[in-house]
Amino acid sequence: MVAAVVGIRLRTTAHLIRREWWRAVVLGLGVLWALAMLPSLLIAQAALAGQDAGVRADAMVVIAACLALGWAIVPLIVAGLDDTLEPARFRMLGVSMRAIMPGLVAAAFLTLPALFLAVMLAILGSSWRVDGPAVFAVGLVGLALGVAGMVLGARVSAAWGARVLSSRRAKLATFGVMALGLAAVAPVALVLFRDGLTEVLASEVEIVLHQLALTPLGAGAAAPAAAARGDWWGVAWRLALQAGWALALLGVWRVNVAAALVAPVGRGGGTRRRHDRVLDPVRLPGAPRDAATGAVHARLLRTWSSDPRYLASLAGVLLLPATFLVLVMPVFDLDRRWAYLVPIILATTIGWGRHNDVAFDSTALWLDLVSGRLGRQVMAGRIAAVAGWALPVVLVAAVGILAWTGAWQDAPGLLGASVGVLGVSLGVAAVSAVLLPYRAPAPGASPFGAEVGAVGAGLAAQLVSSLVALGLVPVVVVPFVLSLTLASQWGWVACVLGLAAGVGAYVGGLRAAGAIYDRRAGRLLAAVA
Amino acid sequence: MTSVPALALRGLSKRFGATLAVDRIDLDIPAGSFYGVVGPNGAGKTTTLSMATGLLQPDAGSVTVLGVDLWAAPAGAKPLLGVLPDGLHTFDRLTGAELISYAARLRGLDRATVRGRRDDLLAALDLEDAGSTLVMDYSAGMTKKIGLACALVHAPRVLVLDEPFEAVDPVSAGAIRRILAAFVESGGTVVMSSHVMALVERLCDHVAVVGSGRVLAAGTLDQVRGGGDLEGRFVELVGDVRDQRDLTWLRQS
Repeated sequence: MVAAVVGIRLRTTAHLIRREWWRAVVLGLGVLWALAMLPSLLIAQAALAGQDAGVRADAMVVIAACLALGWAIVPLIVAGLDDTLEPARFRMLGVSMRAIMPGLVAAAFLTLPALFLAVMLAILGSSWRVDGPAVFAVGLVGLALGVAGMVLGARVSAAWGARVLSSRRAKLATFGVMALGLAAVAPVALVLFRDGLTEVLASEVEIVLHQLALTPLGAGAAAPAAAARGDWWGVAWRLALQAGWALALLGVWRVNVAAALVAPVGRGGGTRRRHDRVLDPVRLPGAPRDAATGAVHARLLRTWSSDPRYLASLAGVLLLPATFLVLVMPVFDLDRRWAYLVPIILATTIGWGRHNDVAFDSTALWLDLVSGRLGRQVMAGRIAAVAGWALPVVLVAAVGILAWTGAWQDAPGLLGASVGVLGVSLGVAAVSAVLLPYRAPAPGASPFGAEVGAVGAGLAAQLVSSLVALGLVPVVVVPFVLSLTLASQWGWVACVLGLAAGVGAYVGGLRAAGAIYDRRAGRLLAAVA
Repeated sequence: MTSVPALALRGLSKRFGATLAVDRIDLDIPAGSFYGVVGPNGAGKTTTLSMATGLLQPDAGSVTVLGVDLWAAPAGAKPLLGVLPDGLHTFDRLTGAELISYAARLRGLDRATVRGRRDDLLAALDLEDAGSTLVMDYSAGMTKKIGLACALVHAPRVLVLDEPFEAVDPVSAGAIRRILAAFVESGGTVVMSSHVMALVERLCDHVAVVGSGRVLAAGTLDQVRGGGDLEGRFVELVGDVRDQRDLTWLRQS
């Protein structure tokens, strides 16, 4: 069974490469990159070997902890690394969890990233060889157990994320995670901003490292240091903790696979709604009044509040601005005014995130297509549903940042620039969504999966839309930058220009997108199906 | 009855990579007819109907709906058509009632009209209880019925239905048959694809047999089937299963 499951993975990969040549290119580039990393890894190993055991252990704990966090988080952000072994696909075959589990585990470890991770940590871990064979062995075992925890952790977080988002409490869970995430980074940011990075590095890092070495994030990497001290009890419990963590993750994954094998396809949970929100929508300010536009808008509002794929992207937009505010700013010790980038980054990510919006309807978009020549109405309804929440979010972020910096004289420029960037990026996204649509995860599928065969068209669309957005956004932001660097009068120019550019790009983008939609109506369905 | 065909396909072709899915199909569907399109799996029925309803751009050829060119003047032709495709998703996070309202509002109907027609359709298709549940919780047959309701709500002149009876229970099938028969009676045109020959013989007055992307035979039901039954004629036209192999291992005892 192991061979059969792994064989499926290898054969699908081979078929895909034969069908789409660029996959081989991507694969080749990945291998090349991994090979190119080898010399620097060997240099790092030599450098580590030259340090004493304590420093080496600290470095390895930091590396292991960062990698472990990365493996847990990346599957939630980078959609669809591979879905050929989605357990739900084995549903029809009637195989038991016990039968396919060994194969799934083997396949999970036999991916290029997992293999590279193992090789990388093995090379770095070999620096323990200078402390004798016993310590070296402990180091390798500890790191091997750590790798197991990372690879299994990635599977568990993807499986859990998908499961939570497709449950009835998806909305609550999304906002809960967003709130939790902010609550977790807020104290870190507070300390970093209060004391400055160098101070924190000097006083807190010691404690943090010590604590990390007591958790499954770093225990395995810290075990050889204990061995070097001759503390064999310390070695035993650290390795046991790391092994127990991997086993616990395996257990959780097994439960998830078992659930996925029998989970029903429909997931409405028997929701009943008496009120017809399409016919009698909630009257929101700025909601479209035209019949067709209003219907599309009402449908998209429902989608934004219940579809796992949209909820995932809703939570995802906060990631980049929050990282910038909490990590980049304190680390580079930036002036507070750099925080003005936060609403601008937020507006860009929200807008750019919709560059494949139409494809999220999957083949259901036939109803829009057969109902007439409705490109304008469909695109206006779609993007208005995004703008309806994005504009308040961006404005709240901008006002929040202004309240933090206290520099209210920058308000007109910042608000203008933020609105301008949001309008421009939404306009670009609207055009990209009809000009370069590519297959998105189907409705009801895991929001973290990609459709097989989508990556090529996806790469092109992502590249083009981000280049266009990155080319246009600075133009809108320039007057605001001038207001900060040159003369504050530029602030009002930035305000007027930003509002004009935002509204202009939004309206123009929608018109262009609508016209292209009508012209390409006969190709859209084939492009997303 | 007018002489302008309800649906006229001229030299319609579609190629997917190496396979020619539809090969220069010409077909006239007379107004007021109940037209059945039959063909083996992979014959190009769904591709043809997709091109005839504006869902798939043809490589070559034209489609006219009651004299209006669908691909040149979609704004004029699409309102004449009611479409039920097969094997595509629906906006399944809406309730059944909302999905009908959605289709109707896209067609530009006013609120009062939509409300009345929506409730009529839910009642006529026995979906009153299901009207308040999400379409994603529907069975395959219920999804077909709600799709049919969306195709009917703007009172089109021509209905193009891909496998409208698939997975639908006998009671609902009876209701759909009555709705479609009354529609044709009043001057409407129905084009329907199906794999069930008996159903086509029972409902349709015209039939086209499609195979390998071409029209193998077309005309009134009696013209196509000659003296015999439709199934015999169908097998004769498209050929029987080539290798009549016995699955001896499947025999019980």
